[in-house]
Amino acid sequence: MIHFRKPLEGIERPQMDADVVIVGGGPAGMACALRLSQLIDEHNAAHPDAALTKDNIYLLEKAREVGQHCLSGALLDPRSMRELLPGFESEAPIDAEVTKESVWFLTEKGQHKFPIVPPPLRDHGNYVISINRFVKWMGQKVEEAGITVFTGFAASQLLFDDVVDSGRVIGVRTDDKGVDKEGRPKVNFEPGYDLHAKITVLAEGSRGSCARQLIARQQLEDPKHAQTYGIGIKELWEIPSGRIAKGEVIYTMGYPLTTHEYGGAWIYGVNGGGTSDTLVSIGYVVGLDYEDPRTDPHHVFQDFKLHPFARRILEGGKMVRYGAKSLPYGGWLTMPKLAGDGWMLLGDSASFLNSQRLKGIHLAIKSGMLAAETAFDAMLSGNTSESQLGEYKLRVDQSWIREELYPVRNFHQAFEHGLVDGLAKAGIQQVLGGNNLGPDYRNDAGYLHLKMADELSIWGDKRQHFLGNAKGDGKLTFDRLTDVYHSGTRHEDDQPTHLVIADIDVCNNRCVKEFGNPCQYFCPAAVYEMIEPGPASDGEPQALKQLHINFANCVHCKTCDIMDPYQIITWVPPEGGGGPNYDGM
Amino acid sequence: MADCILVVAEHREGKLNRASFETIAGAQAISKETGWAVEVVVVGEGLDAVIAELATKSVSRVYAIEAAALAAYTSDAYVYALKNFVSTKQPKLVLFPHTYQVRDFAPRLALALDRTLISDAIGYKFESGKLLFSRQMFQGKFAADVSFAGDPPWLVTFQIGAFRGDLAEPGSAPTEKVTAAVAEGAPRVTPHEVFQEAKQAVDLSQAAIIIAVGRGIKEQKNVAIAENLAAALGGELAASRPICDNGWLPLERQVGSSGQTVAPKLYIAIGISGAIQHIVGMKGARTIVAINKDAEAPIFEIADIGVVGNLFDIVPALTAEIVKVKAGT
Repeated sequence: MIHFRKPLEGIERPQMDADVVIVGGGPAGMACALRLSQLIDEHNAAHPDAALTKDNIYLLEKAREVGQHCLSGALLDPRSMRELLPGFESEAPIDAEVTKESVWFLTEKGQHKFPIVPPPLRDHGNYVISINRFVKWMGQKVEEAGITVFTGFAASQLLFDDVVDSGRVIGVRTDDKGVDKEGRPKVNFEPGYDLHAKITVLAEGSRGSCARQLIARQQLEDPKHAQTYGIGIKELWEIPSGRIAKGEVIYTMGYPLTTHEYGGAWIYGVNGGGTSDTLVSIGYVVGLDYEDPRTDPHHVFQDFKLHPFARRILEGGKMVRYGAKSLPYGGWLTMPKLAGDGWMLLGDSASFLNSQRLKGIHLAIKSGMLAAETAFDAMLSGNTSESQLGEYKLRVDQSWIREELYPVRNFHQAFEHGLVDGLAKAGIQQVLGGNNLGPDYRNDAGYLHLKMADELSIWGDKRQHFLGNAKGDGKLTFDRLTDVYHSGTRHEDDQPTHLVIADIDVCNNRCVKEFGNPCQYFCPAAVYEMIEPGPASDGEPQALKQLHINFANCVHCKTCDIMDPYQIITWVPPEGGGGPNYDGM
Repeated sequence: MADCILVVAEHREGKLNRASFETIAGAQAISKETGWAVEVVVVGEGLDAVIAELATKSVSRVYAIEAAALAAYTSDAYVYALKNFVSTKQPKLVLFPHTYQVRDFAPRLALALDRTLISDAIGYKFESGKLLFSRQMFQGKFAADVSFAGDPPWLVTFQIGAFRGDLAEPGSAPTEKVTAAVAEGAPRVTPHEVFQEAKQAVDLSQAAIIIAVGRGIKEQKNVAIAENLAAALGGELAASRPICDNGWLPLERQVGSSGQTVAPKLYIAIGISGAIQHIVGMKGARTIVAINKDAEAPIFEIADIGVVGNLFDIVPALTAEIVKVKAGT
């Protein structure tokens, strides 16, 4: 019997009042806190008699330390950082400026270089960074500015005003600490806090759990434009010198994916803050709208590393870190409503990502800044209703975010029917400035593309090499457990399962026949496992395998929440402090 | 009666808990600002030595509340006795050290008195005639000052280390014995012998021989197969994660990245595939024997002796053989 995590009921919780609570300490949340602090400082300098306080602005981060759950390639378009902190380059941790770029199309054995680098992928002037180290640095700035960052505290539940106005968000409840496997308080039990905030800013990243509660409750997503996602799997490698230049950027398309899946690889020459050219960030993004439920994105990445193109770079090297995280692909058309009574949505939680340029950090930062400006106005006026916070959407519309995202709004959507079709449509969009030959594309949620086991067609053969879990050779390729080990993931063992399954009978009796339990393949951390059951009480062995959830492996990527075909898995934050440790990633 | 602060001291089997002095030091500090007298009370039986020790501090009086029913601690009897004492005495403040025993009975006492308890305070402030107590929030990131809204007596427990017991001012106090009020009827709680938790946590790191089981064991009842081998060899039983996950063995017996790291002379891995998470916890063993039916299991890469086969055949036979050899010597 699995006990799933939920806030304990019938207990008294400590309450705290706040002006602004920012949920999530990634680039968006940190930028929001920094910009808000700047505006308050300016205001207080100009109006010392009517000073605003920062004492009641809090940022919650579920990781034990700032930046530990941040994962990206990563390339940074410096545009928004230059606005936020002019001259940031002199003190921020930057690995290298992009010096060289190329795009390749891979076939099973071969490789073809694109004659020119398509304009959206031109990265001169951008920086290769470690998002972990960059956000850590932003976090220091935020704390120096006098804003309190609570690390190790997750927002487990969004609080709504159930008395006066049921649409108003009035804060968040943090995670209960010290709850055992069966959901009972342990000796170190500490109930979650109810943080009552005038403004709640959700910057939880891709598929945020509070954002999801909000989107579901207020039906913020347009069903014609469901958010679509990809999963990025990354390894950091130490390799012999001379194989890739510091600041070199390589993208590939094609193999190991077939033309029916969306995705591709990146290889960045990073230097980990040093001067050598022996550290490389390599990873693969697979669109979470593939049709074969046996597809294992981690396996796709392992396959990619076996291709001569990647093998040449990695062979003889050593994998040092691993991570996986989902990312929202939908762009402008899948952006939910951005603000309402008492709340705003930022960054990946609100689809601020340019899937054509494969970049979102600069947009996340910009969205944080615009939300901060809106929150500041609201603090001054005392109006935190939609009438005031709705300005945030206007600010987005008037900023370069719209200039950048609107023209590429149909980009990912064009690939809904495969690579060949997609490239043709993307070409047309490039010529027509983002328009299609017709209206904007609509798109369904990615899990709807999964085919049932008996619908899979024969050309699925081309995928045999990435179906099912990778075994790994222990040198160039790895099984998931070995990779997870390198993510530094840790959770308190004695706590309820934070992958909440609404009806586990669906997994054990229905999914097993219809889709063959894709959770055991799409999870990059081997959380979901179908295992032989012990004999039943009457001594007769049970026929079907049972789902077992190794929640302690979870790297917080949210893929299960996104891709499960019945949408019965809900990812909720485990006890704060648990999760991966993406130091240097 | 003059206003007073009552410190509830703690002892176990006639031995004073030193944390009591910390609470006395806290009470003395509050007393300096409020002018309230400090009195100490301790509950139990045969407390002469305890109150004599407490009387060496600068307090106005030390009480022993004694009764045969209080010889061994039970929350029921403690609460009943203290409730009567506190109700009669009507102190302003009742202070406790935040010990495990206090955690057990202080909330019940507060309920019985219909008064408020502030628990685990780390300090106090006396501001314009009002007493505030500081409590940690957000795991120590913040401290919140809280005060009592209701009527005294107010109950407060102080975190261990909040005050320095060795700085409690010495003095000489009169002592007084009070016969405890005892509830009528049969006690609801019967204390048993005090026991130490079984051998405390198992310290696998000291074990010379470890027999570890993994998922290959299939069922909880099969763990006995490994247990028998461990008994025959005089080794400790350990496990990989899935076994402890299932609750078949306690977490303290888990070896690996989220369990213990061990380096015994002999490590026998039974039905363990050898995921890296397990291997990092035992690769320092001098001799590793692996028994697994999957010849490709990674455990064999680090095993000194590998046996590919069915553990249900091999392990009992091995155990029988060892028992035989040991009996022969």
